[in-house]
Amino acid sequence: MLQKKNLWWLVAVAAFAAFPLLITNPTYTSIGFFTLIYMACASSWNMFSGYSGYIALGSAVFYGTGAYAMSLISIHANMAPGAAMFWLVPVGGVVAMLIALPFGWIALRVRRHTFVVITIAVFFIFQLGASNFSFTGGTSGLALPFITWDASYYFVPFYFVALGIVIFIAILSAAVRRSRFGLQLLAIRDDEDRALGLGVKVTSVKIVGFTLSAFTVGMCGALYAMEQGQIYPQFVFTPVFDVSIALMTFLGGLGTLTGPLLGALILESSQQWLTISFSNGSLYLILFGALFLIVILFMPQGIVVYVRDRVNKKADLARVASAATSPGSDAVLSGSTPS
Amino acid sequence: MTGSVYALMATGLTLIFGVMDIINLAQGILVILGAYLSYALAVHLHIDLFVGLLITIPTMFIVGIVIERAFIGRLKGPEKTAMSILVTYAVSLLIEGALNIIFSTNDVQLQAWYVNKSFAIGSVHFGYIYVAGFILAVGLLSSLYFMLYRTRFGVSIRASLADQTSAALVGIDVRRVSTICFGIGVAVTAAGGMIYGATNSFNASTSYDLISRLLTIIVLGGMGSLGGAMLAGVGMVFVGDMVGVVWSPIWSSMSYFIVLTIVLLVRPQGLFGKPVVRVA
Amino acid sequence: MNTKRKLFQTLSVTSVATASLLGAAFTTISGASSSTLAKGAPVKIGISLSLSGDFSADGQAFKQGYQLWANSVNAHGGLLGHKVVLDIVSDASDPTQVVTNYQKLISTDHVNLTFGPFSSLLSLPSAKAVSRYGYALVEGAGGAPSVFQAGLNNIFDVSLPVANDLVPFSKWVTSLPMSSRPKTVAYVTSNDPFTEPQVTTIEPTLTKAGIKSVYNKVFPAEVTDFTPIADAVAAAKPDAVVLGSVDVPTVSAFMQAFEQSGFSPKVFIATGGPDQGSTFIQAVGAKNADGMMVPNAWYGGSANPLSKTMVAAYVKKYGGTPAGVSSDVAEAFSVGEVVAQAVKATGGFDNAKIIAYLHGKHTMQSVQGPVTFNKLGMNITPTAFTFQWQGAKFVQVNPVNDPNSVKVLYPKPAWGK
Repeated sequence: MLQKKNLWWLVAVAAFAAFPLLITNPTYTSIGFFTLIYMACASSWNMFSGYSGYIALGSAVFYGTGAYAMSLISIHANMAPGAAMFWLVPVGGVVAMLIALPFGWIALRVRRHTFVVITIAVFFIFQLGASNFSFTGGTSGLALPFITWDASYYFVPFYFVALGIVIFIAILSAAVRRSRFGLQLLAIRDDEDRALGLGVKVTSVKIVGFTLSAFTVGMCGALYAMEQGQIYPQFVFTPVFDVSIALMTFLGGLGTLTGPLLGALILESSQQWLTISFSNGSLYLILFGALFLIVILFMPQGIVVYVRDRVNKKADLARVASAATSPGSDAVLSGSTPS
Repeated sequence: MTGSVYALMATGLTLIFGVMDIINLAQGILVILGAYLSYALAVHLHIDLFVGLLITIPTMFIVGIVIERAFIGRLKGPEKTAMSILVTYAVSLLIEGALNIIFSTNDVQLQAWYVNKSFAIGSVHFGYIYVAGFILAVGLLSSLYFMLYRTRFGVSIRASLADQTSAALVGIDVRRVSTICFGIGVAVTAAGGMIYGATNSFNASTSYDLISRLLTIIVLGGMGSLGGAMLAGVGMVFVGDMVGVVWSPIWSSMSYFIVLTIVLLVRPQGLFGKPVVRVA
Repeated sequence: MNTKRKLFQTLSVTSVATASLLGAAFTTISGASSSTLAKGAPVKIGISLSLSGDFSADGQAFKQGYQLWANSVNAHGGLLGHKVVLDIVSDASDPTQVVTNYQKLISTDHVNLTFGPFSSLLSLPSAKAVSRYGYALVEGAGGAPSVFQAGLNNIFDVSLPVANDLVPFSKWVTSLPMSSRPKTVAYVTSNDPFTEPQVTTIEPTLTKAGIKSVYNKVFPAEVTDFTPIADAVAAAKPDAVVLGSVDVPTVSAFMQAFEQSGFSPKVFIATGGPDQGSTFIQAVGAKNADGMMVPNAWYGGSANPLSKTMVAAYVKKYGGTPAGVSSDVAEAFSVGEVVAQAVKATGGFDNAKIIAYLHGKHTMQSVQGPVTFNKLGMNITPTAFTFQWQGAKFVQVNPVNDPNSVKVLYPKPAWGK
């Protein structure tokens, strides 16, 4: 029963892997790269905020930290521009975790509504710090070693590293979800006081979850910095990033495994495509806003939940219609993860 | 005095959140829309900024009602607050795009003979527009208070603020109260926008700065607390200004956010918020 | 757990695929740039501009400048007989989007040439992306030192390098007789790569001339409420104010706060804002603008014949007065002129040849004056000017010995007079 579902995952991974090989136009590879980055970040954000119900709007802190870690280390170590810099990607993730630990320890002393705000405030503190301290280059930002790969394949290595990160976070999310630790996070979302009463160490569970989710986001930030070759504080510590990944997750389905991946895939690729297709910036805003509004109003629970409900309903009907003859419909039902 | 204008804009936001559990991310762009309305009236019809409020406030009230009826009212369920962020964000994108097309992206500022004038008491100078803005803000805020505490409708709003379900049980039409509340919350942006537009030059993208400031104000004041929003609005400007003058402007916003974080750690419900009581 | 193994298998397959693809990619030659055009085919020029977001006002002015240039070229038979078509996409002032945009312009739309976006912030990432295709990026607004420090060989800024913008101003101030020279000065600047270098460049000169600094602070670029800072400046009562600003809102906020606190400096110069023509006047009012100074390389009343033609075309198309034309328009227009001369000189649209030509110390003409690039792509020939609003006119006042300069209105009249 599980194999059918796994097959779909494999098909999806294969499709993503084949994409830049089949469509070699660098425009689409670059859009693909940015989409994968957002898929990884949304999924990682969901692994903490979606599972635990603690909505964080400060993930850009990790993204920016990863980006600055990549930049500062590669600059000060005088690294030769090239593939060796990819080794700094996990380093960026680790640095982000080191920041997340005290950040979470402070911010998670309070409950949900206040937590959101503290994450926003901490985010601004980081953004202002990066713009004003001299070691971060101030508002001029930092210029990384300039990678001179040819434009025709420049994005391809970045694309595959990003794809690797997406696969990593998808597996991690699934593993967390099935683990005891994941159940504790879900218990916190459903009723924190009861979870506490039942002996869940809520504070440490929350802090571990928060820190864990920082790793992937930090890696993405580092990868982004390496690809851009130039970072600015206001664009790596950007509130747009915080809002975007939350929006993507909500659009796809909060707390589900595929939701954030799907939400990011749809939103980021369509946003990039709409922008390059319409030279009029204002018209694009209107179109994007309208599209967004329609999706939210018609699928308030997110696309994944919406589709699942439809499929389930159909399966139910099918089961009623042919009571004993089709055992296959069971697979569809149990294949969908309850949220 | 700038603080009182922020307080006015934030009051609208906090009223909407308190009654409806809706976080209106479009408040920033609505302030700008209000400012543009005043701008259009002043430039094309030569209507004075303050007289123009008689037109812009009711207009913004209607805009608010339309937005509520068309989009916000459709949201239901436990994730309503989160969904409202998405919906109002989308609405703000729509308005931003439309404003860019209608008014172009050039920065404008509202002009009137009194905008740059000031009078002095001793050695302290007071700008007319700030004083007028202050009076306007205090006037509107106190009439809002009067309405809330001295009228029948105010009672139903306060009842809905306290507990929506019980309010519905005692026969209050919570749906209608919500719509009107949203309208009022948006209507105050007309006044806030006019003062803002006369003291700053703006275009549609200015709304991003505004909304982040407004959100922090209502949080610091305790979500849904009207008095809190007022005090936090004034407080935010004060902390920022003091640090800017005494130390360096670079650190003024940062110190504000640090104060915010500390306040929240000590009093998680904000300065004036009700402690969260566990229900069920 | 069988899932994991399968996924790892896929991962290894993927990496093998990547490796082989990279091998293949190394052997192929990127042929995006087509240096020869079929007869009668239009020449496409790719541009990313900020049509929404933070830089939207400047982005729109740049668009006007580029379009005016394209119209004027097409009215004279095009570029080497090819009609010029502009392919403009919007980047919402975001460096990530800018990179995607230039990718798309070059590899999907197959543009022949690329022109720069607005501001140093976006020029640098754009130039990096474009350089991988071997394209030249000629731009009009990206003169911050950080842009040239990147050491790219394909970026060319036709405008004045910003660091020395205020030098003619400081020369004028120090040339004043001791008795009427300002005694005190306040430096206030946004921590922006465009403004800070300008202000710090002239500080030592003024200090040496005995002008005491009574206020010297940097404010963050994202500040929206300038009143407290402006009040602090007003309280120090300096004779001169040097404001490092990028845009109109900043300058207008300072002017308003000064007026309200009853403070009017004898000299008030702002690095950006007063050069925005009618936008500036609309924001501050014509009377208050009187006496405001700004450094730049160009203004609407420039005597340069090329500039006069452009200004006339601008006024015909968009209305307004010569003084109302934003310097952004001229900056964009100059980009087109410089590239057109390089194209004519090299006889085609080969970017490698264009880059070589631009590095070749040739002097080209533009509405902003002569243009010659050094090896970093910095324009080394232009003279910085200082301009001042006098009455409803925007006039050139520095350098003092320039025949086109008129006398500085000094001291600056009180507000609204």
